[in-house]
Amino acid sequence: MIIILKSGIGDAAIDDVCRRVTEMGYAPHIIRGEFKTIVAAVGEERGRPDLRLLEAVETVESVMPVQQPFKLASREVRPEPSEVRVNGVSIGGQAIVVMAGPCSVESEAQVQEVADAVKGAGAKILRGGAFKPRTSPYAFQGLKEQGLKYLADARKRTGLPVVTEVLETESVELVAQYTDILQIGARNIQNFTLLRRVGEMGKPVLLKRGMATSIQEFLLSAEYILAAGNPNVILCERGIRTFETTTRFTLDLNAVPVLKKLSHLPVVVDPSHGTGHWDLVAPMAKGAVACGADGLIIEVHPKPEEALSDGPQSLKPSKFVQLMRELRPVAEAVGRSL
Amino acid sequence: MIIVLKPGSSEADIEDVSRRVGEMGFRTHLSRGEVRTIVGVVGDDRAKEQLLALQSLECVESVVRILQPFKLASREAHPESTKFKVNGVPIGGKEIVVMAGPCSVESRPQLMAVAEGVKAGGAQILRGGAFKPRTSPYAFQGLEEEGLKLLQDASKATGLPVVTEVMEPDKVDVVARHADILQVGARNVQNFSLLKRVAECGKPVLLKRGMSTSIQEWLLSAEYVLAGGNPNVILCERGIRTFETSTRYTLDLNAIPVVKKLSHLPILVDPSHGTGHWEYVSAMAKAGLAAGADGLIIEVHNNPAEALSDGPQSLKPDRFAALMAELRPLAQILGRSL
Repeated sequence: MIIILKSGIGDAAIDDVCRRVTEMGYAPHIIRGEFKTIVAAVGEERGRPDLRLLEAVETVESVMPVQQPFKLASREVRPEPSEVRVNGVSIGGQAIVVMAGPCSVESEAQVQEVADAVKGAGAKILRGGAFKPRTSPYAFQGLKEQGLKYLADARKRTGLPVVTEVLETESVELVAQYTDILQIGARNIQNFTLLRRVGEMGKPVLLKRGMATSIQEFLLSAEYILAAGNPNVILCERGIRTFETTTRFTLDLNAVPVLKKLSHLPVVVDPSHGTGHWDLVAPMAKGAVACGADGLIIEVHPKPEEALSDGPQSLKPSKFVQLMRELRPVAEAVGRSL
Repeated sequence: MIIVLKPGSSEADIEDVSRRVGEMGFRTHLSRGEVRTIVGVVGDDRAKEQLLALQSLECVESVVRILQPFKLASREAHPESTKFKVNGVPIGGKEIVVMAGPCSVESRPQLMAVAEGVKAGGAQILRGGAFKPRTSPYAFQGLEEEGLKLLQDASKATGLPVVTEVMEPDKVDVVARHADILQVGARNVQNFSLLKRVAECGKPVLLKRGMSTSIQEWLLSAEYVLAGGNPNVILCERGIRTFETSTRYTLDLNAIPVVKKLSHLPILVDPSHGTGHWEYVSAMAKAGLAAGADGLIIEVHNNPAEALSDGPQSLKPDRFAALMAELRPLAQILGRSL
C-alpha cells in the first residue's frame, strides 16, 4: 500500500505514521516529494491488518492499494491457467466448452428433449434450473428436488454432466447429490455463507458475476471458495447493469481478457442473460470466443414462446445447432477447438 | 404510441384524450380492458413529442413509444445496409475497414513513422487528432491547423485517407479541407449545432457514441446528420461509463448486433478507448469483428511510453501488424474480407 500524507505536515507526523506501519507488521519506506510525502508499506498484505485503517489518522490523505487483495485466485500465485475437470470434460483447456439447456427445468419431457438436442449439437454440459431465483415472488420458482431428479435422469440418458443453481446453504447437500457443477447465481455472488459452504463441498462451482459486481469483488468471491479448500471454480460473465436498456444487461466482454490477466481461473460467458434477446445471442457468443473465453453457457428451449422463464433469450434447438456450426471455425481462428 | 389511462378514467377523460390525439392529426383506436383503457395512436408519430406531453394529463398513466423515434437512420426505412467509399476504401460492405494511427498528431516524424507503420500493417485509413478534447485544460490540446497539414502530408505520402476530429462548428470548414472523414467525438455526440454543421459539409462523418449515450440517443444524433442531408454516417462504439474501473470504459459490444438490427448504418469498434489498456486491445478487436462490426479504429504510436496522449492504450506498430495478421483469418471465417 501507498500511504499519502497531507501537504505541509511535519516530521513528527511522518514518524508517527511510520511507527503505526511498523506496528502493523510492515516495513515503512519514506518518499519525500516536492509537495507531499508518501510512505510505502512494504510486505505481504493478505492476512495482515488492513492498512486502509490509517485513513482514519488525521495526517493521512489517502491509502492506495498496490497489490490485488485476492491471492489464491491471482495469476501471480499461479501463473499457469487452471483446468476444472468434470466427468471427463475439461474447462479451461484448449477446447471451448459449451453448456446449454433450458433456463428452468419444466417437465421431464422438456428436459429430455432439450438435453438430446443440445448433445446432438455438440454441447458438453447440460444446464437447467431447478431452484429459481425469480425477481417476482409470483413467478415460477422451479420444480426443486423433482427438477433435480429430471436433470439426473437426463444426465443418465445423454451422458452430459449437469450444472444447476443452488440458492441457499441448506440446499447445498441436496443439490450436490444430483449435480456435477454447483452454480452460484448472480444474485448470490456475495452470499458469503453460501460461498464458504460450496467451498467446503469440493464439487466444481460455476460462479456468476453479479449485475453490479466489480471484477475485483468477483475475484474476491472466488477467493472465498478457493480459501475454503475448493480449487474448482469457473467464473462466468453474464452482463452488468448500466444505463442502456435496449438489452437486458450489458455484456462486459472486457472482463474476459481482464480476468484472464488477473486470474488463472477459467472464464465462461453467458450471452443469453448478457443480451436478453435470442437474436443477439449468436453474435455475442462469437465475440466471447474471439476475446478468449473458455466456454459459453446458453439457454435453449424447444418452445421459447411457452417457456416458464427467460423465453425471449432462449434459442430454439435448430438455432443452437446453427450457432454451434458457426462457432467452430471462430474457435479455430483463435487457436481453440470446439 | 400507446396511451395508457389510469384505472377508473371516465368516458369524458377518454373522449378528451381521443380529441387531443385527433387534433394532432392522428387516428385513435380504443381498447377497453377489464381495468384499464388504452388509446392506440395510429400514424407516423416518430417526431411527435407532443404525444409524450399527454403524460401531464391527470387521467393518463403513461405514454409508451412503439415506433423508434429515428427514421432516416432506421432499418425499417432503409432495409439494405449502407455502403459507400472514401477515396476508394469501401465502408459498410463485405470488407472490414481498419483505421489506425496515433491518438494525437505530435510531430512530422512521429506521424510519418506511424502512418508508414499502419500502412505496412494493412490499415486502410489513417487516424490522428489535431484538435484534441482533453479532460484537463492543462493537457496537450493538439497541434490544431499545423496538425491537419501534417495529416494531409501523411495522406499524400501513404495514399491513406484521413479521419480526424472536429470539435466545433467554426472549424468544420478547415478540418473538411484537410480530412476525408470528419470525426465527431464522444463528448460531442449531442453537440447538435456541430452535428448540423457536419451534415452540411458533405464529407463522411464518423460518429462516436458518448460515454453515457443510450443506443436510441446515439441513433437520434446520427439522424441529425442524415436529416441535414449527409447520408455517409459511420457509427463507432467506444465504451460506456459503468461502475467497473479495471478498464477505462466498458466496451458495449451488445451495441453492435443491436445497431445492426435497428439501423442500416455501418458500425466500427474502438477497442483502444473501450479498454484503455494496450494489452486488451487485441482480444476486444477480435470480439468486435466476431460480434459483427464493419471495422475497427485503433490507436498506434511508435513510442507509446512517450505519447502526449493515450499512451497506455496505444499499440506499437509491430503489435498492430501482429493483430492484423490474427484478424484476417477471423474476418474470412465471418464471411468478411480484410
